[in-house]
Amino acid sequence: MKLRLDIAAIWLVLLTAPFWLPLVHGYEALGTRVLVLGLAAMSLNFLLGFTGVLSFGHAAYFGLGAYGAGLTLKLLAPSTPLAILLGMLLGTLAGAALGALIARRRGVYFAMVTIAFGQVFYFIAFRWNALTGGDDGLRGFSRQPVDLGIFTLDILNNLTLFYYFVLACFALATGIMAFLLRSPFGRTLLAIRENERRARFLGIPVEQHIWLSFVISCAFMSMAGTLYALLNNFADPKGLHYTQSGDFVIMAVLGGMRSFWGPLLGAAVFVVLQDYLSSVTTNWQSLIGLMFVVVVLFFPRGLLGFLQRKSQA
Amino acid sequence: MSLLEVKNVTKAFGSLVAVRNVSLTVEPGELRAVIGPNGAGKTTFFNLISGLFAPTEGAILFAGQDITGLVPHRRVALGMARTFQITEIFPELSVAENVRIGVEVAGGYRLRAWLRRAEDKAIKERVAEILALTNLAGKADRIVGELSHGDQRAAEISMALTLKPRILLLDEPTAGMGDQETYEVTSLIRRLHREQGYTIVLIEHDMRVVFNLADLIMVLDQGTVLAQGTPQEIAANEAVQAAYLGKAA
Amino acid sequence: MTQLILYNTFNGLIIGAFYVLMALGLSLILNLSGVINFAHGGFLAVGGYLAYTLAPHIGFWGALVVAPALTACLGIAIERTLIRRLYGRDPLYSLLLTFGLAFIFEDMTRAIWGAQGLPFTPPSFLTQPISLDFFFVTYYRLFMMAVVGIVVLGLFLFLRHTRLGVRIRAGTLDLETVSALGVNVRALRTMNFAVGIFLAGLAGVLAGGNLSLEPTMGANVLMPSFVAIIVGGVGSLPGTLFGGLLIGVASGLTTVWFPSASEAVIYVIMAVVLLVRPRGLMGEEGVMS
Repeated sequence: MKLRLDIAAIWLVLLTAPFWLPLVHGYEALGTRVLVLGLAAMSLNFLLGFTGVLSFGHAAYFGLGAYGAGLTLKLLAPSTPLAILLGMLLGTLAGAALGALIARRRGVYFAMVTIAFGQVFYFIAFRWNALTGGDDGLRGFSRQPVDLGIFTLDILNNLTLFYYFVLACFALATGIMAFLLRSPFGRTLLAIRENERRARFLGIPVEQHIWLSFVISCAFMSMAGTLYALLNNFADPKGLHYTQSGDFVIMAVLGGMRSFWGPLLGAAVFVVLQDYLSSVTTNWQSLIGLMFVVVVLFFPRGLLGFLQRKSQA
Repeated sequence: MSLLEVKNVTKAFGSLVAVRNVSLTVEPGELRAVIGPNGAGKTTFFNLISGLFAPTEGAILFAGQDITGLVPHRRVALGMARTFQITEIFPELSVAENVRIGVEVAGGYRLRAWLRRAEDKAIKERVAEILALTNLAGKADRIVGELSHGDQRAAEISMALTLKPRILLLDEPTAGMGDQETYEVTSLIRRLHREQGYTIVLIEHDMRVVFNLADLIMVLDQGTVLAQGTPQEIAANEAVQAAYLGKAA
Repeated sequence: MTQLILYNTFNGLIIGAFYVLMALGLSLILNLSGVINFAHGGFLAVGGYLAYTLAPHIGFWGALVVAPALTACLGIAIERTLIRRLYGRDPLYSLLLTFGLAFIFEDMTRAIWGAQGLPFTPPSFLTQPISLDFFFVTYYRLFMMAVVGIVVLGLFLFLRHTRLGVRIRAGTLDLETVSALGVNVRALRTMNFAVGIFLAGLAGVLAGGNLSLEPTMGANVLMPSFVAIIVGGVGSLPGTLFGGLLIGVASGLTTVWFPSASEAVIYVIMAVVLLVRPRGLMGEEGVMS
């Protein structure tokens, strides 16, 4: 029963955000941003916190989703759903390919390779000026109203509507992830996280399952990327850089890796903190770096882990 | 047909020969103990059987099938289950969850995203069945990492049982345990052998356990077979006594 | 054409030498302590900037030695207060820590020395160009290569013939045994880290003399250093050396025919190596897998 209450509370907060955000000096786009980055962090956590695999180059798929969506809108068709679909396809396929290449590696080596490969995509986006706009990023597209036949969702001009659109996508994505994690397949991932050797000796083909988790994680990560591009009407090469990957990881850790909703909380705190700090001081980068250090040294279980410990004591 | 046939296996790590020309034949329903002083190569021998690495020479047959080159999870699929010297369990999950994962994999559900109600029920029943057998039913919801050593071992054995194994390989099941826990684990193993009919190969240091349980004993020393026989024969064997007295056991 | 190829190969060797200097330091730290030091680029920058600040007082040559040494001291301080706490834990945490440190370094160097590129001029005799028949090069670039060559040689001799060096190598293979033999593992890790950071600081001084000093100067060398390690084989220092030179030369050569792809080629090499020989060109099976 307690679990249901937590989830109900979370959804209540998310559903009413456009109404209470202005009261706390927030703004709509901030809420949408938190949702999108939260989805990204939760997707990463599917792999990191629930399968126990450290990918540090995951922003690549976020960025690929963003560029995929942007390019679709710019070059193919003014269709938001198509943009999301193709962005996801791009990110997921790249993830599937890379995952297959490195599924046998572990630990720091795996992390290193994911970082290096992530940088390849950053580098392509940065250099392929003609297609991607280079350092300036991809512009010249915008999210298109969604035509549902009976009526049209003007997500282009109506920011509140767009927030709910993103929330719907968020609900779908997190719903699927939660569903998977509670399934026998999801339990094999937990097993791999808890004790890879034991998982192997129970007959779980570990590499195969890690690859599957990697692909699922990339799919929803790239979905988050598409939504981000739609939010900003812009795709940024920095979204592919390993510093972005680091941000996603810290969001997951800060919120609590072992908890499904932890990364969302981590994203909210991170986004708000970054916004606030960058408006208050030019040395906000140091402070963010300091936050990384503090979280790692003192709150490795994250905020939710910390609160859980306190409530048990 | 013998269940397990290890034929003249040798394992060398560079110039270090850990196991040299060892052969073993295990019939269905037997309980075979592998003993020997520290460094005798017992765990390496087990690792060869369970597939952690391949032998430098020799072959291993399981139920007549050549498994010498097979990776661990394939050997598991053929019915080979194993426990480790340091208990390998899923520490942050409950006992029931630990066992359930094994049941689901053994039942072919490892890639399933959802279960029908009947399937879920069958899985739960099987988990209960195994926990009853290993006396962990009362601790099903406890986090396994918080349990006593003996209970953790029982949990690990429970997981091995989920595979409906044809052979159980137990590596020092009573390692680091006090008298009471040793007694509990030994009783469990005896139950599995006498009442359930499992074929078991176990590595042990504790002689009381070995003489209590084993049908046959194989003694390894410095990677080679020193002696094989019934407990009485081994107890009387002078070479074995010398090997043990000559080293710290 | 041959002129162009030679020139670019030579340039590639210089770039490669840089990657080697950075990658060796990264490799030392990674092999012994399992830490991916994201802040390595930051240490490079600090080394360069310290040299810039010290040079007016102790000269270029003084700065060449003192700046890396000071940077190494900073490294020791950070290792002992921060990184040390994370050794037993999941590699995730040390990764995040060094990541955060990288942010702090970049910001702090910007705060202290400013965001503008600062010129750091080596002694004038080094900046003279040598006009050889076929291509233009300054003495400084030869000097850089020479320094890297000497340092690498010194490092290999150090690892082979000094007590500390041998312990580091042994520790990389089997830390438990080394500890059981009575070696102070904590001190060993600290000293190893210091050596790695010294190399980074030195790279910073050399880089400063070649281009101008910027807060982000280390970041550009960091990724190729990773690639050098992966290509050469994690766990193998000769592999790292080879990997660094290989990608440097490949990068230089690519400039002849496909200038815009010169950075991409190092990633292509990495992809090929991972496909064909995942443990790296000189790596050992089972290391870090």
